Amino acid sequence: MTTWIDASCILIVFLALTMLATYRIVGIIKIFAAQSFVLGLTPFFLHADGLTIRDIVIAMGTIVLKTAFVPFVLLWAMRHVSMRSEIKPIIGLGTSIVFGAMIIAGAFWVSLSLHLPGKPISDLMLPCSLSTVLLGFLIMVTRTRAVTQVLGYLVMENGIFLFTLSLFDVMPTLIEMGILLDIFVAVFIMAIIVNHINDEFERSPASVSRSKMGEAF
Amino acid sequence: MVSDVYLFIFNISISVENEMMMLILIILHWLIALLLSPFLLGVISKVKAFFAGRVGPSLFQPYYDLSKLFQKSAVYSQTTTWVFRAAPVVALASALLLVLVIPLGGLDAPLKFQGDIFLVAYILALARFFMIAASFDTGFSMEAMGASREAFFACLSELVLFMNFITLALLTRSISLSQMIGADSPLSWSHLGPTLLLVVASLFVVLLAENCRIPIDDPDTHLELTMIHEVMILDHSGVDLAYMTYAAALKFLIFATVLVPILSGWTGVFIKDMSIYITGLLGLAIVVGIVESSMARLRLNRVRNLLLIAFVLAFFGFIVTMWRG
Amino acid sequence: MLAILILIPFICAFLVMLPSTKQFKGKLFLLVTLLHGLIVASFWKVLPAPEFDGFIALDQMSLILMSIISLLFLLVAVFMLGYFEHEQRSNRKLIACLLALLSTMTLSSVSRHMGLLWMAVETSTLFSAPLISFHRNRDSLEATWKYLLVCSVGIALALMGTFFLAIAAHDVHTLLLSEILDKASSLSTNWLKLSVIFLLVGYGCKMGLAPMHSWKPEAYGQSTGMVAVLMSGAVTQCSFLALVRVGQICGKTGLADFYSSILILTGLLSLAVPALFILSERNIKRAFAYSSIEHMGLLVLGLGMGGVGVFGALFHMINNALAKVIMFLTAGSIAQKYGSSRMDEVRGVIHIYPVTGTFLISALLAGTGMFPFATFHSELMILNAAVISRHYVLAFFVVACLAVMFIGVARIVLDIVHGQPTEPVLEKKENFFMNSAIVAAIIGLIGIGLWMPAPLEKILSAAVLIANG
Repeated sequence: MTTWIDASCILIVFLALTMLATYRIVGIIKIFAAQSFVLGLTPFFLHADGLTIRDIVIAMGTIVLKTAFVPFVLLWAMRHVSMRSEIKPIIGLGTSIVFGAMIIAGAFWVSLSLHLPGKPISDLMLPCSLSTVLLGFLIMVTRTRAVTQVLGYLVMENGIFLFTLSLFDVMPTLIEMGILLDIFVAVFIMAIIVNHINDEFERSPASVSRSKMGEAF
Repeated sequence: MVSDVYLFIFNISISVENEMMMLILIILHWLIALLLSPFLLGVISKVKAFFAGRVGPSLFQPYYDLSKLFQKSAVYSQTTTWVFRAAPVVALASALLLVLVIPLGGLDAPLKFQGDIFLVAYILALARFFMIAASFDTGFSMEAMGASREAFFACLSELVLFMNFITLALLTRSISLSQMIGADSPLSWSHLGPTLLLVVASLFVVLLAENCRIPIDDPDTHLELTMIHEVMILDHSGVDLAYMTYAAALKFLIFATVLVPILSGWTGVFIKDMSIYITGLLGLAIVVGIVESSMARLRLNRVRNLLLIAFVLAFFGFIVTMWRG
Repeated sequence: MLAILILIPFICAFLVMLPSTKQFKGKLFLLVTLLHGLIVASFWKVLPAPEFDGFIALDQMSLILMSIISLLFLLVAVFMLGYFEHEQRSNRKLIACLLALLSTMTLSSVSRHMGLLWMAVETSTLFSAPLISFHRNRDSLEATWKYLLVCSVGIALALMGTFFLAIAAHDVHTLLLSEILDKASSLSTNWLKLSVIFLLVGYGCKMGLAPMHSWKPEAYGQSTGMVAVLMSGAVTQCSFLALVRVGQICGKTGLADFYSSILILTGLLSLAVPALFILSERNIKRAFAYSSIEHMGLLVLGLGMGGVGVFGALFHMINNALAKVIMFLTAGSIAQKYGSSRMDEVRGVIHIYPVTGTFLISALLAGTGMFPFATFHSELMILNAAVISRHYVLAFFVVACLAVMFIGVARIVLDIVHGQPTEPVLEKKENFFMNSAIVAAIIGLIGIGLWMPAPLEKILSAAVLIANG
């Protein structure tokens, strides 16, 4: 089953990379749904020989929440809150892709000196989860639109979830903390919908005072 | 005769009884490649027609086109020089040479030595250089524009190609294409699945880019501003155009031939391997057809990002390989 | 006792949601904060016993923070009585969120479990976000969004850091601080290093340390003065407590040098960045926000310096909180009177509101660390720590940044206080409650500046011992 876990780890990073290179927000939302689906399947691979109720609940919860509910809400928001459909990156997509490559290399390099306790499930889980977290972070800081920033945050969150899965048997309580973060994200998304934070917050260059420019720092 | 060439160029001596075998092998390679490659183009356009709801041209249309072109004589503009005339010959010749380096479905490659992956890359580059030079030679600014795009995208796709070669070389501990993807290749999906997934994905993008297929370039369009490959061969006609088209068809076959064994692996039985190979080629052509009918051509400035993504995938594969040691 | 302290505000938060008059809500809030304050004051005599298997416990370190929280809420409650006399808007959501915030912050100050601490900080972020958008307009929504965004990234990173800490402490089998400190030698150094970096960045986002500070000018500039007080004096300092806890672990595991070097680096950055931007600022609330970034930098710097610096930093926590009360409550009352806090629209305050004008001057002195305010002493202690450890260049750099800060803030404040009044403002009376809250803070800050009470010194020294391990 290790090959399957490896494959899903790599797919998760791969999808995070494609998100980094996608122009249309709807496209990014769909890729996110795919990524979450792969993530939701991972608990099945982890315990292929003996599924417990807990595995199934976690897997199904992830799939329902992140492949169906969150993308649905975001797509609904895209249609109803008059958001424009293209992302607005502050650095070019080419540059961010190159940064993505550097992030992956860095994550693997850091992971060289780290060893997870307990029986290793797959040695790719740690570097891949680190890369996903950092790629999500990259998406978040390089895109100005509110929805894309949320999507970046969700990718980060997926990476964290992958990390908790790698410690599934050793430290089960971590999962619960991860779920708390999920709840936080849900509230976070609600904030956009309820408050109609519908567009990027920026003014025309002429009205940007010098102090405003300070925040870009 | 063949043994002399081998000795001269590659410093490998082969015995006289092998020489006959080698000749047959070479001829078989050329035969298969030349016969099969236009058919693949026919399959692609048939698939595209199917998705567009048309009947489409016959599967053998590319053969008819080529035979018609071969019967026509070429027309040369007065501004062109020998460079323009040399380009089609070089293109076809290098494609034919490339066919010999690659193990072709159960058949061993006639040309194999450690380091032949570099030969592959540089022969590709040689053909490209002559095509670009020829398009400059015409003095037509549109062609020069196409050439500049071709050069830029080729830079990136070559990078991706090499990155994948490095990964494959690390996996197979060899820098010979025959050992990487040949019959005794140690690649197996059950062990290396995740890495191979990345290699296949990025090689597929390279295949699309090098053959000017749809998300990168549209082979059917005839608007000078958006074309890459087609605009470069705008001034070629008759036999020259036939050479160019044949070379392009062969190039598709070559890339597909690299990709198919990675996907399918080898059984060791010639008949089986050959049928798997041909099925694989057809399958790949169908996939390309589907990709072409389901996607629109990317804007030129986004092509770069697609190739960069392919590079990052290859790089990721490389890192995973290094990680696994 | 501690559980009650956490539960009371939380239950009252629900009570406030029920329909009732504005005055009743304000008085209930005052009552709760008064009760909270009394209970906390009783802790100064005897520390309460740990509860919930040691998940919640009070040490001198927590006591300092808890007293700060309690004091700030009390002052804000008093101020609020006056503020809502002139305010049309309902105070239901504001007070409900404030009470919930009080509860979660109390939890974060007493939690001795790193996971619980993270949870408390996470929920306090959730409850403080609606506070910023009290004036529901485009700018304040933008500020809320920015705050949520930066802080949620911080929370995610802090969660990662907590996970890494859990892995580093795998042999300890728990994240209870006391257990980790007892078995510190069994911690894996590599994981701990990674964890420390993530925790510092994560909680640093929440604290508004320099590269992660971008939410601060927006959030403080857009929220009401009362909210800004609680954010800058209490919420951010809760995250500082988390950093102190991390420092405790580092001290036991031989990572003290590693930790203090990154602390000093972020501290210096947090001093330099606001100094760069303050000179072009025209809004007084935003200027005070930059000053707040600077104070956070000082806290971190003091902690990184060690020795007398830690004492200075802990003392500075108290002084910073009181200074923030003076600064933001005064700015809040000006903003309410003029409907703006920009120096182009507000001028000559002292001619129309002499008392508020005087407050603003003392806010300037308190915020920039001038004698006789206690901020002067704590800043001096931190500077002294730099000189004692022979970091002369560093000390010079700190002084230069503080000087630039002083010039920047003084420019705005003096313009607002003494400038020519732009137009005649309708004569409004000064409000007793609003002013008494500010006066209390001024007296307190000058008081501990001139004479430090013995119990305070005792508690601070005990806290320093805890922080140093």
